Amino acid sequence: MRTLFASPILRFVGRRLLYSLVVLAGVLVLAFALVHLVPGDPVRIALGTRYTPEAYQALRSASGLDRPLVQQFFSYAGSALTGDLGVSFRNGDPVTATLLERLPATVSLAIVGILIALLIALPAGIWSALHRGRISDGIIRVTSQFGVSIPDFWMAILLIGLFASTLGWLPTSGYRPLLTDPGGWLRHVILPGLTVGLVAAAIMTRYVRTAVLEVASAAHVRTARSKGLAPAVVTSRHIVRNALVPVLTITGIQLATILGGVIVVEVVFAWPGLGRLVYNAVAARDYPLIQGAVLLIATLFLLINLIVDVLYAVVDPRIRLS
Amino acid sequence: MRRPAVLTAAAILLTFVLAACSTGERVDLGGGSTGNLVAAIAGEPDQLDPQKTSAYFSFEVLENVFDTLVEPDANLEMRPALAESWEVSPDQLTWTFHLRKGVKWHDGTSFTADDVVYSYRRIIDEKLANAYRFATVTGIRAPDPSTVVLTVQQPTPNLLTNIGGFKGMAIVQRKNVESGQIATHPIGTGPFAFVSQRSGDSIVLRANPDYWGGAPRLSGVTFRFISEPSTALSALQAGEIDWTDSIPPQRVAQLRDDDSITLAVTPSNDYWYMALNEAREPWNDVRARQAIAYGIDRAAILAATSYGTATANQLAIPKGSFWYTPYDKYSHDIDKAKRLLDEAGVGKQSLDMLATGDYPETVTAAQIVADNLAPLGITVNIHTVDFATWLDMQNSGDFGMLMMGWLGNIDPDDFYYAQHHTDGKFNAQKFSDPEVDRLLDAGQVETDRQVRRQDYAKAATIIADKVSYIYLYNPSVIQAWTPDLSGYRARRDGAIRFRDASLGRDGAN
Repeated sequence: MRTLFASPILRFVGRRLLYSLVVLAGVLVLAFALVHLVPGDPVRIALGTRYTPEAYQALRSASGLDRPLVQQFFSYAGSALTGDLGVSFRNGDPVTATLLERLPATVSLAIVGILIALLIALPAGIWSALHRGRISDGIIRVTSQFGVSIPDFWMAILLIGLFASTLGWLPTSGYRPLLTDPGGWLRHVILPGLTVGLVAAAIMTRYVRTAVLEVASAAHVRTARSKGLAPAVVTSRHIVRNALVPVLTITGIQLATILGGVIVVEVVFAWPGLGRLVYNAVAARDYPLIQGAVLLIATLFLLINLIVDVLYAVVDPRIRLS
Repeated sequence: MRRPAVLTAAAILLTFVLAACSTGERVDLGGGSTGNLVAAIAGEPDQLDPQKTSAYFSFEVLENVFDTLVEPDANLEMRPALAESWEVSPDQLTWTFHLRKGVKWHDGTSFTADDVVYSYRRIIDEKLANAYRFATVTGIRAPDPSTVVLTVQQPTPNLLTNIGGFKGMAIVQRKNVESGQIATHPIGTGPFAFVSQRSGDSIVLRANPDYWGGAPRLSGVTFRFISEPSTALSALQAGEIDWTDSIPPQRVAQLRDDDSITLAVTPSNDYWYMALNEAREPWNDVRARQAIAYGIDRAAILAATSYGTATANQLAIPKGSFWYTPYDKYSHDIDKAKRLLDEAGVGKQSLDMLATGDYPETVTAAQIVADNLAPLGITVNIHTVDFATWLDMQNSGDFGMLMMGWLGNIDPDDFYYAQHHTDGKFNAQKFSDPEVDRLLDAGQVETDRQVRRQDYAKAATIIADKVSYIYLYNPSVIQAWTPDLSGYRARRDGAIRFRDASLGRDGAN
């Protein structure tokens, strides 16, 4: 029996994992440097109108900013690795707990949004490509252009107006945890999910269409067709599967974007996600919270990248060998 | 591979249909009782320690959780709260407060005079933002569990307003503070007790059946954080929330005609003003400042910043207050402005106006001012910065003109001393007038209310005549609620009190 790492796919994953760790270390340095790179004294700025010499000294020593830089970094990095991201400047809450409290809402929105986007973009993009130049292709392209152009806050307000105010089918805003109230969770996640999903779908439809068009004119597809394979088989086995790589890329990017916080959608739907948290933290100059959020979002990005990379390798054998 | 995907799609579609079929039922976070009120506020409290927070969102919630020794009634006159009565010694230097007996903290322990001493000492000893309200206080003691004695170094006619004017002076519990819980799990003596908070989403309070003012009729209050006004209004119209103050002024005209909600537009004690930097030429000349006061179009500024919901006022204190003084010297008069500039020998000028996007009215107003002053040969350069920078520039005198507002003042000393006394802490415009100084000093110790009112009327008139501030208007407190809500009134000081409120649905009225 061969060792585990002899399997090319595992070797590929191992390599990717290593890259991710290197990037993460870089992010850690940047997040730490953030406090020291902003112009002015972070403690002074964080205190703002509440500034007094006593409060200044207290916050400065509590946040460890009075110690040597190198010592500060290793202490920060060490704590961060054990999951301790410090406490908020503003109210003394542990940053890790605050971020974890917001994560379920953000993940809910991202997963529902990306599912809706895929459900729309895959069929629409494939159909559009296979019926290139026909009226249906034109309709899909114009609609997706429209979807890309419409601002998300406007779409959100329209959706609330229709489904919540006029029809009364869904709540206007708010969030329920999936575990304690699944029905409430679903009713609350649909409108924000639809908003981010429709915007992402509009973008992704165009990518799917282009990817399918590219593959559809490739030599191997012509060969498959000339072999007399049924059109459905050619489409599913020879076109769509090969077109999946760019589609995976854009899906990963869209997912990461939503996870990083869709502030406008969160604001309109009063959704307790990471976006609003980060926005408020920036407005309040709450550096520990900003640092923690940067780390968390970067980790999520890397995780998604890793998953997408692995999926590449599954879909396209050439990639794992390169 | 393909079939499961189709199945998933079908399942998701089905759940959509199911979800769509359940009608927009009432959202209830507070344990299923119909007597629970859902209020939408426009942002999340930064923390729940009333003595440390400075955020209005915090006070909206904490108004219902904490008490002060005395508290403002609807006309902002102080009335008993945790103190049942009080007396002042003949020399005006000793205030004795008799506390209400049988008051309990939300954790069931008894409230005593020690709690008051602890709370006040904390504000003073930790030099919290409100420590200045105790500037004249020299001693705080509790001779027995239901008596608190404050000694002051000079007669302090506004002592009651200082200790009761707002919830930043709340009486807190020592154990709650020392355990570090107060910022996240506050314990008060008020009509509602804190239950829980969901970050970014809501805070839940439940009624305190042992409240000294009588058990509230609501079973609880849930504060949801909805910062987008159009969402808050949709939620109100859909019946998901019962009350909100997340209402932009431009929607007021339209909402007045909406029978499905009750709208309150109440002039507040807040005010907006402009000030010229008197440390800079030519604004040290009173005539140059008066020229600006005549040169700006106040009506246009009011209309553009508040959509007509504010009340024009050329002094700070609004009509309806005991301390109100009628004054309307300034009109929009370009000729007069030009004459004043000529007299002062002011030629073509450029004026740096400081504005901040955190208060959009300052940016809007700056644009109008720039337009207004162009015919006078004054070029206005608008600097728009964030509020932290704004404060910094104001404090270092790095401005020609600025616009800002003051919130939450009740006593005339709060309105005028720090802003216009030569040694005032917030006199960034560097105004100095011996007569104003004398009157403001006198007002701080004058115990005859009528004489005190005359002092402040005179001081305010000089302040406006000599253009320390160009007073613009008092904005309105704008709130909307369901017609089912009764026993609630919008207050001039913006305090949100649900203690006497009830919801028609539960048949309480």
